[in-house]
Amino acid sequence: MDLVDLIEEKKFLGQEFLTWLWFKSEERGGTVFLPEAGEDIQLVFEKHMLLEYGEGENREKLICRGLMTELKEARTGLAMGKKLEQARMLLSRGEYEWNLSFKATLMEFRNVKPPRTMSSAEESNDPDAVEGKLLEHIGLHETLVKTFDQLFRMFLAVRTVPAWEDELARIRRWIGKGDNAIRSTQDGI
Amino acid sequence: MSLLSRSASYVRYAVEGELPENFWEFAARRIAEFAFKDIDEGSEERSIGWVSALNMFDSEFAYASYAAGDHIVLSLRIDERRVSPKVLKKFALKEEERIKKERQLPNLARAHRLEIKESVRLMLMHRAAPVPEVYDLCWNLAESSLLFFTTSQKAQELLEESFRETFGLSLILQVPYLTAEKLLPPDRHQALAGLEPTIFI
Repeated sequence: MDLVDLIEEKKFLGQEFLTWLWFKSEERGGTVFLPEAGEDIQLVFEKHMLLEYGEGENREKLICRGLMTELKEARTGLAMGKKLEQARMLLSRGEYEWNLSFKATLMEFRNVKPPRTMSSAEESNDPDAVEGKLLEHIGLHETLVKTFDQLFRMFLAVRTVPAWEDELARIRRWIGKGDNAIRSTQDGI
Repeated sequence: MSLLSRSASYVRYAVEGELPENFWEFAARRIAEFAFKDIDEGSEERSIGWVSALNMFDSEFAYASYAAGDHIVLSLRIDERRVSPKVLKKFALKEEERIKKERQLPNLARAHRLEIKESVRLMLMHRAAPVPEVYDLCWNLAESSLLFFTTSQKAQELLEESFRETFGLSLILQVPYLTAEKLLPPDRHQALAGLEPTIFI
């Protein structure tokens, strides 16, 4: 299968991962445990989400902006069968913190703001300092990508086994909870 | 939106193929061969080549090396002369009018008009200043992976082509399915291949 067909045919994999990641981050109030690293990371979905529905020319898009509490609209989008394609999030690991948008279909890392470090503030043209700064930036971006690999591996470990049905039931309950909450708000309850 | 800026966008590639022996020597030769060549004073439509990630005018890597630890850090610079379609249309029509008046013709044949358009396009292109685009990359040699700092599909295609020409290696964009194949043990690949989309509602 060539890459273009592979992207189209398997795009659900990235979108399901992002949806699962949102569920996972809310399951423990923004904390996700990475088993292979044996540590907790903070992951909070915020401000901006893009959901999609349908294929090709019939594709519809829903953009949700706002603070975390206002992402109910996005959860309602999920309840209507839309797929999460892009989300903005805050990820903290150890002493470092990244802001980023993750686009599911092509696994694009967008508008990544890497952590500010001590040497970020230092400006020097000394070749060693320049190489040090380069290596530091590379290290920060690679750590982010590796963290996503670890999260993706966690998702795949459950997605490719029968236990996915149990996880799916939990995700459906979580989506339903958001949908009910927004209905209650609309009904003034 | 580059490697060193406060906000960056990127995709990941897998680098496929064997690195040659004496890799750093090979890399130095090939990077020099495919380094960016300035076209500001010429009339070429496009120039593509490697420059330093720290200075887009440094194609000899005099200011800083492209080697950073176990990584190669480079920028792909693309300078292109562009003519806006509206400007092209305006000057082509102007030239048509001039010829019609000079030869006292009511109309020009389609073939002639196309010929005029092409010669006007070349004339305007020669007059246009090349527009530069610079995209950083960071190649992790130990892991055969590469981060490319843009989400522009056109730039990605040019990178894949330039990388193959320079190093004789292929770049494969790591979309979710291909990443999954790398992350899962081989005995789970069949389960991965058989996955069907989930309905979350």
